[in-house]
Order: sequence, then structure tokens, then C-alpha cells
Amino acid sequence: MSEVPMIAIVDDDESVRVATSSLVRSFGFKTTVFASAEDFLASPTMPRTACLVTDVQMPTMSGIELFEALRARGVALPVIFITSFPEERVKRRAQEAGAAGFLAKPFDADTMMGCVFEALKGQPLPR
Amino acid sequence: MTGKSPYFFPALAVVMAAPIFAVDTLTPLDTAIAVLYVAVIMPSAHFLGRRGVLAVSGTCVALTLTSFVIVHQDDWEGSALVRLIVSLSAILITSLLTLRNQQVTSALREQANLLNLTHDAIFVRDLADRITYWNRGAEELYGWSRAEALGQTAASLLRTRFPDTPARIHAALLADSQWAGELTHFKRDGAQVTVLSRWSLQRDKSGRPIAVMETNNDITERKRSEVMLQKAQTELAHAARVATMGELTASIAHEVNQPLAAVVTNGEACLRWLGRDVPDLGEARASVERMISNGRRASNVVSRLRALARRDDPDHVALNLNDVVEDALALVEREADSHHVAVQIDLQLALPAVSGDRVQLQQVVINLMMNAIQAMAGVSGRARRLAVATRQEGAAGGAGCVTVEVRDTGIGVDAQGAEHLFTAFYSTKKEGLGMGLSICRSIIEAHGGRIAFAANPDHGMKFTVKLPALKEPAP
Repeated sequence: MSEVPMIAIVDDDESVRVATSSLVRSFGFKTTVFASAEDFLASPTMPRTACLVTDVQMPTMSGIELFEALRARGVALPVIFITSFPEERVKRRAQEAGAAGFLAKPFDADTMMGCVFEALKGQPLPR
Repeated sequence: MTGKSPYFFPALAVVMAAPIFAVDTLTPLDTAIAVLYVAVIMPSAHFLGRRGVLAVSGTCVALTLTSFVIVHQDDWEGSALVRLIVSLSAILITSLLTLRNQQVTSALREQANLLNLTHDAIFVRDLADRITYWNRGAEELYGWSRAEALGQTAASLLRTRFPDTPARIHAALLADSQWAGELTHFKRDGAQVTVLSRWSLQRDKSGRPIAVMETNNDITERKRSEVMLQKAQTELAHAARVATMGELTASIAHEVNQPLAAVVTNGEACLRWLGRDVPDLGEARASVERMISNGRRASNVVSRLRALARRDDPDHVALNLNDVVEDALALVEREADSHHVAVQIDLQLALPAVSGDRVQLQQVVINLMMNAIQAMAGVSGRARRLAVATRQEGAAGGAGCVTVEVRDTGIGVDAQGAEHLFTAFYSTKKEGLGMGLSICRSIIEAHGGRIAFAANPDHGMKFTVKLPALKEPAP
């Protein structure tokens, strides 16, 4: 088992998924990528995930629903939302539920990674 | 019948008959001088009616008899009697022939007058294209009088524009003895007219072509309103497309934003890979390659949109309806996703081509898909499924047709709605203009196809678009 925290990325759009993964890896993290919320929930790597970056609008289960499902299971995973539709209503709902970040696409890499590092405070970070 | 003075023929008759009578009576020639009276009778038909001709012949007979009586008062010489009978026979036969000829001529003239009664422009031209007959309708349509037109070359007088090469038209005329088509002519005043032209080839007894009768019907106004109607339909279709694009704005913005977001993130990742203590060139290169393909994807969405927003006149080319469906799907997919609609596509391979305007057909498919998605917006408790299928029908023998079927599991329409589905300004949607389906129908009908709908046995509706297939396979 590696010391490096693993970040999960959920986005139905492959190009965003792959790009986000590359960015996160360039900071030295490990990543796992999923095309849907359901795939992530069913994944065996889910319990080892240190932080989740997820899209909000997805065809079947939304990012917010995924977040609520995790909380309902008692999983206290930090979640950062990225969305093409940064509506204030959704943003408030996410923040009230305790989101670690809520970013509009295209997001700023430093802001995004700032959220990741903030969420992982106290955990061993990659060097 | 002619415009000449009424005294012209009587004077001519006297001038001709008097010397004959004088010679016949006064000179002792042993010949049948009175035969020459036929020269008076023959032209009489040109100037006089049936009675006039009879009167002239009667007069000539009387003059002949008078001369005979004067010359041969006492001696009824046998040979003189023969000459008299020859002369009288000649006069009578000539009179009969003249009368018959006159009758035929007047029948012909009446028929020609009938042609003058019609409003169509009718003219006859010989094989050298010289005009030999020109009716009143032609005078009225073209502004050239009969006297001006006769003898002229038809194609240059009317500055004819043919729909095909004159040689090919002539060949068709010779083959079928007739031809019909649209021609453009110019009137005397320079105005342009479009005519529906019907030609019939006239042949002589041995079957050799001798002349062409051309009957032209002025359809300039009809053509003009057709063109205007077509223009209005094109504009309406464009307006509807722009309206559809308006409905799709959020989805389309997302379609463009997504690859752009990926470009930005890949760019930032690339900088990070390069900025590491040991730059990871492999990862940096992969990031740049992804940026390029993301950029292309965004650009594709934009060009698809630009095509849809174009305002060009319809341009019919050979198309594969599968491509049309896929292009439409690319624009509508996100809309389906956000309405939690599962899209199921079933495209038949090796579909025959159809002739059509890519943008307009795409508009129809987008419209049907959008309607289907919207019809399922309020559905819960069953799957929201949009199924689009293409297939070929009636392949045996002829080219058959190609159908596109768009099926949903939505709320459907009631009987009253079904009746008005294709009616302009009828809408079951609150914000709907009610133009979508009526425009779809006019587009499909302009493509020689049909659009129909039916309720599915379980839920929702099925729309079927049928277009005639071309013989060639789809590009």
C-alpha cells in the first residue's frame, strides 16, 4: 500500500475526466477515474479513496446525489464539485452539505489543487 | 374579306372580261377564246363569296353565249358548236373547282380563327424555325403583330432560353412527335415571360416532319408565386432552426464548454509536468495531444451549429440518413442526458442514399428528438427512452424508400391533439410556438417524402419519416 493519497475523479465526459486526472497526477497524487457515480460507488477502490472530485450534472445519478449517498453510508470522504452550470442554488446546497470545493469548468488549477490540499490536511502528502 | 376597295374586283373583272368578249365576238378566230373567261372566275374567289363566284360564272356563260349568237346567227357550224361546248365546260368546271376551293379555304380560315379565340399563344414554325403562323394570343403575349412575326426566326425573335440544349430537345421532338417543357421568352418590350410550352410536330403524308406547332401558356405569375412561397418556407425553416437552437442553448454551451475546460486543464497539467524537478516529457506530450483533440471537438460542435444557423437556399445532394441522424444526435444528446432520457440508436448499415438538404433534414430529426424528449419530461415510474432507427423499405425491384423512426415513451397526445399535430400554431407545450411539426412536414413533403405518427401500443408516440431512396448507395 502506497503512502500517496488516491484521488477519485467522476465525470461522464471523458476528455474532462482524463485531463483532470493528468493534472492531479502531475502534483504527485494517484488517481482513479469513473464515468458515472454508480461506477464509483460500486468500485472496490472506493474505501481507499482520500478525496473525490466529481462533476455535478451526469445523466443518471448527479454529483450531489453521489455526495448524499456517500454521507448516507457514513463515508466522510471530502468531495470537490466541478460543474459547467455553476448555479447558485446548487452551489449553496453543496456547500451546506459540506463540500470541500465547488468550481466552475474550466476551473483554475491552483484553486482546484488548493481545495485538494486543504481537504487532505493532516494526511501524508506526495513530494 | 380583304382590306381592298370593294370596286377593285368588279373593275378588274370588267378589264379582263371586256377584251375576251371583244375578241370572241369581233374576230373570226377558230379557237375557243371563251375558255379564257376562267381567268376571271379563278381570282373571283379571293374577292367574292359563293354567290359572287356563281354570278361571275353566270355572267361569263352569258357572255360566251352572247358572242356565239352574235357570230353564228345563221350558220350553226359544227366545229363552232364544239368550241362553244369546250368553252362552257371549261367555265363550269373552273367555277365548280373554285367554289370547292373557296369552301376548303374558308373552313381552314374558321379553324385558324378558332385558334385566335384561345388565350394561349400559338404559332407554327417550319423546320428552319421560321414562323409561318402566329395567332392573336401570340400577338397579345409577345407584343409582336402577326405581320411582324411571320417569317422571323422564332428563337431569335423571342430570345428563347431552353431548359436543355436545342439539339437534345429537337431529338426528343423527332422521336415522340411532341415535346413539353418550360421556356423563358422575352416580349417585344423586353419583359421576361416563363411559358409552359407544348410542341407538336406536323408531318407530311410520307411522314417527313414539316413544321412545329408551339402552344405557349404564360406561367410567369405562377412561377413567381412558387418562388416566393419557396423563399418564405426557407425563411420559416431557418427561423424554426434558430428557435430550436435557442431551446438547445444550455446543452450546446455545455457541449462547447466541456472540451474547452479539458483544454485548459490539460494545459495546466502540461505546465506542471514540464515544471517538475525532472520534467516528464511523455506526460507533457500526451497532455498537448489531448488539448489538440479537445480543441477539434469544440470546433466540430461550432461548425455543426454554424451549419444549422445557415440561411442558404436548400441544396439537394445525395445523403446518408445515418449521418444526418448522427449529426442531429450530437446536438441533442446532452439535452437527452439532462432530462434523464436514455437514447437508443439503431442504424441500418448500407442504407441507400436519399436526395435532400442536409441542414433541413437534420432540423427535422432534431425537432422530432426534441419533441420526444420534452414529451417524456413529466414521465416517472417507467423508463424514459428515445429510440431512433433508420431502415430501407420496399427494396425489391425499385429503389424503395428510407425511413427514420423516432419513438418515445412519453405522454403521447389525445385524439384532439393528434388531429392538429401538424397544424401551424398548434402546440401542446406552454412555451411552444406550434411551428415545429408543421415545418417538419413541409420540409419532408418538399423532399418528396411523407411524415406520419402513431401511438405506441404501450406508451408514447412514434414518428416516421419516409423519403424516396436513390438508386445509388449512400455516400
